[in-house]
Amino acid sequence: MFHSVDDVVTGLGSQSYICNKNVATVVYLGTQLQKPILVEGPAGVGKTELGKVLAHALGMELIRLQCYEGLDEAKALYEWEYTKQLLYTQILKDKIGEVLRDTQTLGDAVDCIAKQDGVFFSDRFLLPRPLLRALLSDQPSVLLVDEVDKSDAEFEAFLLEILSDFQITVPEIGTLKAKHIPLVVLTSNNSREMSDALKRRCLHLYLDFPDPDREMAIIKLKVPGVGDQLAQEVVQLLHRVRKLDLKKTPSISETLDWVKALTLLNVKQLDNELIEQTLSTLMKYEADIRKAHQELKAYVAERKARQGTSGDSGKDHLH
Amino acid sequence: MEDRIVEFANVLRRNGVRVSLSENIDAFRALRLIGIRDPFLFRNTLRATLVKRASDVKPFEELFDFFFLGIGQAIDALERRMMEELGLTPEQFQKMLDQIQKLLKEMEGELSPLTRALLTGNRGELERLLREAANKEWEAGSSDRFRLTPYTLMAARLQMDRVHSEIERFKAMLQMLAESGEDLQNVMRYLDERMRDLTRLLREIIQQEQRKRGAEPNDYSQRSSFADKSFSFYTEDDIRRMNEAVARLAQRLKDRLSVRRKKALRGRFNVKATLRRNLQYGGVPFHVELDRRKKTKPQVMILCDISDSVLNASRFMLQFVYSVQDLYAKVRSFVFVSDLGEVTKLFEEEELHRAVETALKGDVIDVFSHSNFGRAFELFFKNYFPSVTGKTTVLIIGDGRNNYNRPNEWVLREIQQKAKQLIWLNPESRITWGVGDSEMPRYVPYCDVAEECRNINQLYKVVDLIVP
Repeated sequence: MFHSVDDVVTGLGSQSYICNKNVATVVYLGTQLQKPILVEGPAGVGKTELGKVLAHALGMELIRLQCYEGLDEAKALYEWEYTKQLLYTQILKDKIGEVLRDTQTLGDAVDCIAKQDGVFFSDRFLLPRPLLRALLSDQPSVLLVDEVDKSDAEFEAFLLEILSDFQITVPEIGTLKAKHIPLVVLTSNNSREMSDALKRRCLHLYLDFPDPDREMAIIKLKVPGVGDQLAQEVVQLLHRVRKLDLKKTPSISETLDWVKALTLLNVKQLDNELIEQTLSTLMKYEADIRKAHQELKAYVAERKARQGTSGDSGKDHLH
Repeated sequence: MEDRIVEFANVLRRNGVRVSLSENIDAFRALRLIGIRDPFLFRNTLRATLVKRASDVKPFEELFDFFFLGIGQAIDALERRMMEELGLTPEQFQKMLDQIQKLLKEMEGELSPLTRALLTGNRGELERLLREAANKEWEAGSSDRFRLTPYTLMAARLQMDRVHSEIERFKAMLQMLAESGEDLQNVMRYLDERMRDLTRLLREIIQQEQRKRGAEPNDYSQRSSFADKSFSFYTEDDIRRMNEAVARLAQRLKDRLSVRRKKALRGRFNVKATLRRNLQYGGVPFHVELDRRKKTKPQVMILCDISDSVLNASRFMLQFVYSVQDLYAKVRSFVFVSDLGEVTKLFEEEELHRAVETALKGDVIDVFSHSNFGRAFELFFKNYFPSVTGKTTVLIIGDGRNNYNRPNEWVLREIQQKAKQLIWLNPESRITWGVGDSEMPRYVPYCDVAEECRNINQLYKVVDLIVP
């Protein structure tokens, strides 16, 4: 467990995740108050990564539940293993016959079976899905509920019981309480507003695109071979591009892909041609690429102009 | 401290941030862990526990600033200005304050605490006194506030005249002592300036209190009146708020859809499918197969009038159209004045505001001509009628003011016969339908539904009609 806010920063830092104090405070509170953390923000700013890294930093098992439309209890919580139950009844046919031998009437036989049905509805035949697994695991774990906004409103309501009491009710068995309260991280892309009831039970964390310095640090950490100048130019450029009105704003992960591509191509400095060829790693829509390209052209032109005024000596070196 | 946080939560609530009791409790528990020594962590902690929506972060930051730093910030600023004006370094300034304190002690008679705090630069004390007075003033209620400005009342409560006279007395005493000229000049200027500072601080704190106490209309009442306000009276600000309303509307549409999906999960028992599915279990029916009701996605064709007479309404309606198109796959949108143009593609590709602006600007069709519903309908019939099917809902948005052109109501008859339903939304009041060049009486008989739709509440009702 973390002991202080600074502890969180170093702990996550050791897992190559750079976070600011703001994030660290929320994470620290989440671990101490045992409250779920709801992480919101645009795609690709490291929301899911935060959950993964947390598990690593704390040395806990990561249990992940990916949400989607139509996700229901059977997939998220538990399911009875029908096939196994059936197989057992088949194998135990003789034994059942033995048990029923003394019964006279059909009614007696049913009563007799009814006395035994606990055997078939027990933990043995319960197939735990992520949520139940997180509750019942012997070690404390990190439960990552990814893209919770993609799930239906009904599923969200169903999550409430687990998030507030850390217990669930299986009708055939009874109420199962968590052995260890898992650290829950929920991520949301805000494709729909989560209900107030859910939000009330969570600590809220809004992750946004990082500021230039932090982004620079992230690039250097994740792409070790990158040159200083290239990293700096990429960051400057991206902050301009993000201001454009795009269908999908380039995120950190896309930035990293782009930088990796540029490093592989052994680029030291951005220029028009290479931008054109590699832009598809950064942008996902044709219209976006066109818009971004205009911006990049302007950027390169500006830089050239700046270098021109700063003296010709620099130019000579480049040739 | 607890009181302050509860108060702060109230302030947040009054400014439209949703803070419930459990969030308050969280804040307390968190603060017990974090402590309140580090201002940065303090702020982060409150934000993480009290604010639950990304859009609430900004109001939180603003309110935090003036609630916790509040008047203290103003005092700091005034002090800095004072030093600059007198041309003193912080050390020299402090020396002067010490000197004044010494002199104050020699002064005869009782000094009011406010004067003392003000002159000796005791920031904490000054802030406390001002806030206390403000609190008392607001608790006292409004009965005695009749025709008096809050400023006058506060000045009276703080005994400003007493402070004033005390400072004057102090000045007279200094002149009697008549120490070295240069210093005296500075001190005199300092005292005058201080008196003015107090006035400024008073104004500042009144302003803050008014905001805190919700002298501004609170969010809820604003919203409800906004929902009933006619589109044609929208101000710039209202137009900006429309976005939020439209987003809520879209949410409502989505909610309806998900309810329908849930209903689709029930259905009649299907023997054949059940048997087939359960073959793997030796015919023991573990999984029951049901005949699922088919989800019918609405096919909508929207015709929106964007002539000058309904400009505000059509701006709103286009936003609405945009979000409808976002939700359903089969929506085709058209705008018309006299010509008719399809904007489906534009709405698909462009971001909301730009799409709406482009549609209104006249890039799609000529917006400066006179409305001619008859011609637009005829064009629709000629070019797009084949795509109307039995499943289509046709939605016409317009005031029906035809400038005495041919109404061509036969087009509506054709549409009604072929389409699932024909809905007309009119941003004009029902009373005026048929008055002047309004052709509504001719059109209404062919509409399955014709509603006036002048504000958001009425639009909400219409949504229920489109999505059954």
